[in-house]
Amino acid sequence: MPADACPAWGTPLARPVEGSPWRRVPAEGSPSALAQPRVAAGREPGRWSAASTPPAASTPPAPRPGVPRPSALLLALALALCLAVPGLQAAGPGPGPGPGPGSPGVPGAPPPGLLRQAARAALHFLNFRAGSPSGLRVLAAVLRGRAAVDARRTCRVDLEFTAERYGPEVADGRLGRCSARVVFRHQKPRPAVNVTCTRFMETSRRRREDFLLYKRAKRLRAPLGATSIPDSHGWIDPSLRPIWDLAFLGSSYVMWERTTQTLHYYMAQLSSVNQWKTNEDAIDFDYTVLLHEFSTQEIIPCRIHLVWYPGKPLKVKYHCQELHTAQEGSGTEEGSAVAPTQPNNF
Amino acid sequence: MKLILVFGALLGHIYCQETFVGDQVLEITPRNEEQIKHLVELEAEEHLQLDFWKLPTIPGETAHVRVPFVSIQAVKVFLESQGIAYSTMIEDVQVLLDKENEEMLLNRRRQRNGNFNFEAYHTLEEISQEMDTLAAQYPGLVSKVNIGQSFEKRPMNVLKFSTGGSQRRAIWIDTGIHSREWITHATGIWTAKKIVNEYGKDHTLTNILNAMDIFMEIVTNPDGFAFTHSMNRLWRKNKSTRPGVFCIGVDLNRNWKSGFGGNGSNNNPCSETYHGPSAQSEPEVAAIVDFITAHGNIKALISIHSYSQMLMYPYGHSLEPVPNQKELYNLAKDAVQALYQVHGIEYIYGSISTTLYMASGITVDWAYDNGIKYSFTFELRDTGRYGFLLPASQIIPTAQETWLALRTIMEHTLNHPY
Repeated sequence: MPADACPAWGTPLARPVEGSPWRRVPAEGSPSALAQPRVAAGREPGRWSAASTPPAASTPPAPRPGVPRPSALLLALALALCLAVPGLQAAGPGPGPGPGPGSPGVPGAPPPGLLRQAARAALHFLNFRAGSPSGLRVLAAVLRGRAAVDARRTCRVDLEFTAERYGPEVADGRLGRCSARVVFRHQKPRPAVNVTCTRFMETSRRRREDFLLYKRAKRLRAPLGATSIPDSHGWIDPSLRPIWDLAFLGSSYVMWERTTQTLHYYMAQLSSVNQWKTNEDAIDFDYTVLLHEFSTQEIIPCRIHLVWYPGKPLKVKYHCQELHTAQEGSGTEEGSAVAPTQPNNF
Repeated sequence: MKLILVFGALLGHIYCQETFVGDQVLEITPRNEEQIKHLVELEAEEHLQLDFWKLPTIPGETAHVRVPFVSIQAVKVFLESQGIAYSTMIEDVQVLLDKENEEMLLNRRRQRNGNFNFEAYHTLEEISQEMDTLAAQYPGLVSKVNIGQSFEKRPMNVLKFSTGGSQRRAIWIDTGIHSREWITHATGIWTAKKIVNEYGKDHTLTNILNAMDIFMEIVTNPDGFAFTHSMNRLWRKNKSTRPGVFCIGVDLNRNWKSGFGGNGSNNNPCSETYHGPSAQSEPEVAAIVDFITAHGNIKALISIHSYSQMLMYPYGHSLEPVPNQKELYNLAKDAVQALYQVHGIEYIYGSISTTLYMASGITVDWAYDNGIKYSFTFELRDTGRYGFLLPASQIIPTAQETWLALRTIMEHTLNHPY
C-alpha cells in the first residue's frame, strides 16, 4: 500500500489483531452520535473565551438534530462497518526505530505514512490555534491509528501520537501525548482537524515565556530585507530566535491550509523580513518563508503577514507563489470563531 | 591581543543585548591618581551604562570601555573637561561584530592545525583537496578514480578503498546526488576518513576490506553543489541546459533507467523532480552507469540523501515487493538498530514506495534491476526541524551513527556472496 493510501472500508481484512488497544466506538449507527466530534479542538480553559463552541473550521458540519443528512448517513454507515471489525490497526512503532510499513504485516492497516501525514496536519493546526511561539510542537512518533475512506473518497484518520517541543535543541526528551481526528477531503487541502494534546509545559510557564519572547521581540531590531535564517550552515543567531519562532507560528497556518492527503510541508528558511513593527502593542511581522513541499520536493516561497500579541488569537494573511504550475494560493484567518469562507477584517 | 579579548567579551554580550549599533570602544589613559579617581566615579554613574573591561589602578595604565551610543557625547565631554587622554578604538561596535560573526563562520570551515575540519560544511574545492590528501596519505589503501565530467565540465572523482586484488567484489556509496543535501557530503568525507583510520583496528571493517573494495563518490552532483555555495542554497538538480528549454537542471535521482518517466517523476523541466529528456541523459548519471557496468562486480549500492531519517530499499517506481524483500527488510532493521544505539536517533525503514513515496527512475531501482541485490538509500537527519539546513554541530553525530548502519550493510554483503 502506498505511504499515503487510505484503506477502503471494504478491503478484505486479515485475522483481527489480538488485544487491540483501540477503544471501540458503539456501532449503533446513529448518525448524530458519530458525526459529532469526539474530542475538543486543542484549547485550554479561559483561552478561547471569544468562541464558546469549537470553531467551525475544525469540525465536520453537524447535522440538524433529528434529521440526518444523506452524506452523514453514508459516513455513519461506512464508519459503523469499519469500526465494527477490529482489524484496522497499524502495528504501533513504540519506542525505538519504526518497523517497516511495507512489511509482511496486516493488510488493510493504515500505512504509517498516512498516520504521519495526519499527525503533521494536526500539529500545524494545533500550533496555529494555540498562537503561542513558546509552545510550538512537532511530531515525535505515531503511536497508533486507524483510517477509513468513504464513497466520496474522504479519508478519516483517528490517531494517537507523541509530540515534542519545537526548539533549537535536537530533542529535550519531554513528550506530550496527542489524540486527533483528521479528515482529508479527496485531493483537497485544509483537512478538518480535531486535536488535543497533554501539556508538556505548565500553562503559566508558557505564558511567561511568551511574554518574555514578546519583550525580546519588542526590543529587537530585525534585519530588514533579504536574509537567510538559518544561514547555509544551519546557524540561527540566538538573538533572532523570536523572529524564527514567530515565523514558524505564522507558517503553521499556511502549512495546515496547504496539507492534503499526499502533500506536506516543512519550513525550510526565512528568506526575507519585509516588515517588523513593534511600536504598537502587537508585533506586526511581514516576511517571506521558503516551504519545502513533499513529495514534489518543490520550494514554495510564501509571503506571510501576521499580527501577534501574547494570549490573543493569531491574525495571519498569506500568499504563496507557485513557480511552474498555475496554482497559487492565499488565505487569511482571524484565529477565532470565524468560518473559513468569511473575509477577514484584518 | 587585547583586541581579541575585547571582542571575546563583546561576543559574550551578544546573548544579553541584541544590538550595539553606534556604540564605541574608547581607550583611556589616565595620567595621575586624580584622573583614575575620576574614572572610578564615571564607572559608578549607572545611567551611562558604561562597560569597563578593566579599571586602571596606576597612572599610565590604559582602560578600555564600551560606551553605549546614547552616552558617547556625555563621556567625551567629561573626559575632555578633565584633560583625560583617550582615543576611539572602535567607531561602531555593531559593524565589527557583524564582520566578526562572518569570520567566525568562515573560521569554522577553515582547517584547524592544518587538518580538515570535519565539524564544518565545506566547498567543492575543500572536499576535493581532502580527497587528494587521503589518497596521498594512504597510498596503499586509497586511490582517486576519475569516472567522467559533469555537465559544466567538472571532474567526477571517486575514492577507491582497496587492499589489493583485481576487480574484487565491491560496494558503491554515493553522497550528494542532490546538491542541497549538504549533510550527505559531510557524512561522506567523514566516512572516508573513518575508513582509513579504522582499517586494521575495527575487526569488521578490516574483514570487509580484506575481501572487498569500497567505492565512494562524495560529490555526485558537483555543478549543483557549486551552485548551492554561490547562488542558491536550496538547489537540488544538476545544471544541465537544453536549447529552447526555459528551466535548468534535471533531478539526477529520476534519470535512471528503471521505471523511467513513471509516477513520482515529472516531465516538466521546471519541476524539482524533472526526469530529463531520456534515461541516463545526464552525464553525472551516465558516468556512474558506465563505471558500475564496466566494473561488473558491484555487490551493494548505497545512495545517501537527506532528510527524513529513513533507510529504504527498492522499489520506488512500483509497489511490487522485490524478490528478496524479506532479507532487505531484516537487514534494514538491523542497520537502523545499530544506528539507533549511537545517539538514540530513530529511523523508519521499508521499501521506498511504501515508506516515503512513489519515485521513478531512481538510483537504487536501477541498481537492483542490474543485479545489485543489496541496494539501499538513506535519508539522513533530521525530520524537518532544520531539514536541508542541518546545523554543522550535527555533522559528527550524524556521520557516527550512519557509519554503524553502513558497516552493518557492508558486513552482510561480505557474508552473503552471490
